[in-house]
Amino acid sequence: MDIRLKGTNKTALFLLALALTVMGWTGRSYRAMHEPDVVVPAPGYTEHRLSEWFDGIAGTPADTAVYIQDSGISGGTVFVMGGTHPNEPAASMAAVLLLERARVATGRLIVVPFANMMAFSHNSPQEGHPRKMHFTLSDGSIRDFRYGSRATNPIYQWPAPDIYIHHPSGQQLAGSESSNLNRAHPGLPEGNLTRRLAYALLEMIRKEKVDLAFDLHEASPEYPVVNAIVAHERSMELAAMVTMELEAQGIPMRLEPSPANLRGLTHREWGDNSDVMPILMETGNPSQGRFRGRTDERLVLTGEDRFYAKASELGRLFIPYVKDQPIDLRVARHVTAVMSFMEMLGFVKPEAEIVVDGVPGFEEILGKGVGAFLTPLSHRSLQ
Amino acid sequence: MDWFWPEGFHTLAMVGSFAFGAFALKLPIAVAMGGAAVVGALLGGAGFPLSHLVEGTFGYLDTILIIATAMIFMKTVESIGLLESVAAWMIRRFRKAPALLSLGIMGLIMVPGMITGSSTAAVLTTGALVAPVLIRLGVPPVKTAAAIAMGAIYGMIAPPISLPAMIIGGGIDMPYVGFGLPLLVCTVPLAIFTALRLIYPDLRRRREDPALATELERMARVPLSLRLFAPILALTVLLAGERLFPEIWPSLGMPLDFLIASFVALFVGVKWNPIEAVTSAVNDALPVMGILMGVGMFIQVMTLIGIRGFVVVSALALPAWLLYFGIATSMPLFGAVSAFGSASVLGVPFLLALLGRNEIIVGSALSLIAGLGDLMPPTALAGIFAAQVVGEENYFKVLRHCVVPGLLTAAWGIAVILGAKTIAAMLY
Amino acid sequence: MTFIYRGIALFVLAFVLRCMLREKDFWKQVTATMVIVPLAMRILLIK
Repeated sequence: MDIRLKGTNKTALFLLALALTVMGWTGRSYRAMHEPDVVVPAPGYTEHRLSEWFDGIAGTPADTAVYIQDSGISGGTVFVMGGTHPNEPAASMAAVLLLERARVATGRLIVVPFANMMAFSHNSPQEGHPRKMHFTLSDGSIRDFRYGSRATNPIYQWPAPDIYIHHPSGQQLAGSESSNLNRAHPGLPEGNLTRRLAYALLEMIRKEKVDLAFDLHEASPEYPVVNAIVAHERSMELAAMVTMELEAQGIPMRLEPSPANLRGLTHREWGDNSDVMPILMETGNPSQGRFRGRTDERLVLTGEDRFYAKASELGRLFIPYVKDQPIDLRVARHVTAVMSFMEMLGFVKPEAEIVVDGVPGFEEILGKGVGAFLTPLSHRSLQ
Repeated sequence: MDWFWPEGFHTLAMVGSFAFGAFALKLPIAVAMGGAAVVGALLGGAGFPLSHLVEGTFGYLDTILIIATAMIFMKTVESIGLLESVAAWMIRRFRKAPALLSLGIMGLIMVPGMITGSSTAAVLTTGALVAPVLIRLGVPPVKTAAAIAMGAIYGMIAPPISLPAMIIGGGIDMPYVGFGLPLLVCTVPLAIFTALRLIYPDLRRRREDPALATELERMARVPLSLRLFAPILALTVLLAGERLFPEIWPSLGMPLDFLIASFVALFVGVKWNPIEAVTSAVNDALPVMGILMGVGMFIQVMTLIGIRGFVVVSALALPAWLLYFGIATSMPLFGAVSAFGSASVLGVPFLLALLGRNEIIVGSALSLIAGLGDLMPPTALAGIFAAQVVGEENYFKVLRHCVVPGLLTAAWGIAVILGAKTIAAMLY
Repeated sequence: MTFIYRGIALFVLAFVLRCMLREKDFWKQVTATMVIVPLAMRILLIK
């Protein structure tokens, strides 16, 4: 069978018109990803922009919202950051939950739920990821959040260099890592937007004299550093106490020291370049892993996947996995660990005590689901 | 059967509809790939996911710019007569030392791959440079192309820059440090073997060709001068500068490097038509650029409907004694979609499955095996461009000569994995 | 640098269009269309 057709100027013009239609149609759906997610901060939070600490990102897509709740009672300052990698949704959702629920009684809490806004505005090619995930709230209403990419959107910094040189260590990485926020720390004030964003975050940590800082993540279940806390030397004692406490609550957690030769990550650079105690935490997210089957919103929310179940049988995973790994569990792990850190902070640094109430516990989140603890948008105007 | 349904069926349907489109309907490979992606999406219950299809193509946007500009560069140096002049000089100078010439040529083919991490760059630069030399000296065009394709792949894997090794290392947060020697162990023996098998026998059988002298005269009609070399020199400085002094050199990227070097050719003092040269370059590169777009759609749908996980976990589920066979076959086969894709999608899980040996050595060997993907149809970037460089229309004829070195490459990669601990003890 | 690379993409796009208009085989024109869409969308910074 041969379906050869003759090409003429007319067919070329027809195809060009078709191309324009495709561009218009798909372009609209890609542009929709630029619309920021709506959050409803709990009473007491004030909203700031990260550019207030470093104006090198003012007016750029790197600028992001910073929420601060100051109890007025002197104590510690804790910073919780989600959304370094927008394809790791339990990280930003845990930060959102703290933002919408926390009541700070002593000390200060700073929350950045969407650290790399430039990575929320697109999906990585060839990953087949959904664009949004939806949560049903206690009143039956629905809120949605974006599922983005690990990397900064290339429209903001294109092309990637062939080789990425980390500053200041000079460590070489594949060029694509130049758009990975968690390889950009401690940042560079004149660097690309990702590096400037990293620099702004560090500036905020320094100027606000943050005592304890979290960078929340998720990892593929087949990756060894998962269901884990990665701690800088300065945070190790506190992290060890928290790990034991979580184990006692039946929440198994690995504790990994931050490798000295792996540069550009928060748990290394924040600690080496400021006085903060940095903590990076990982939960197991099948929707970002290489073993996953059908990739859709259901996978993101439930983590249910038959290929992961098979890989678990084969002993290839580093998390306990039977048939699923719901986002409720992953968010509950993050939130519970963060709360446990805050409770223990006063033991290792008495002047930095912080007391936070109003945040649901592990079993509560697991039982009712994340959506039950998000504030319905209709309540927004009441606050 | 439970395991196979439905992803296994969808795999067969996608591969089958590609084959039907490409071979029965005789559609261009790019169109057949895109069509197979649509069929997969429809069968997999994803509807007609237009935005996913377009999104998939963006995975290769940078690659098609490299391909287009590298091709422009090749047409440029061809147009100014540099290729033939250099060939004539090399033939006159080294004809009497065939072994040295074989190894030297292989080394020359590898260099651009070593500094760019791209086999396409190697084929279209020094590959194009040595092709007329080898053919003139009696190496059949298809064997010439095979040697160029293999050399380009070894160059892509060899240090200092090996993108597959960086990709595999990055997947387990292993910095790209200490890969130099292991990658040389992986590539140098194979490069020597390939040179001696594909190039040396024909060079040694030196025939006295009376027409050669006049032919050399014709080839060298543009006298070799430093000025004629300017585009190549510019490219060398640009590519090497960025790789060797990354701290101080501005990061221009390969497409810009190729275009600047091509631009230099406007000032070498030879008359040529840039517009026509660029048009012909883009026209030659277009089928491959299109294939990559089709492949991008194909992978996006594979991931979307779960075939990717099916392939990866099936390979990992192989019993231990079959695991190495699985690595040696699945990685090159998956390379049909791209060697870099194979390094990322299969290389990382395989490295995780082999933890506890020496990760740097195993990672190097896996990147070598992933590199073979550049020989796998339908993309077969190294094979297609090497065929183009020697003017052979059917690249399968070229691939036939790559079978022995290719098998040896896979076997050598597995041997390096098996002996990783011993090799590590010797190297470090 | 993004500006320069948009220029490079535009340069390549222009020649792809030229080749497409000269092409006598419809399916090869389709191949060119597949290349045009992402190039143009990146030039316009849509994706």
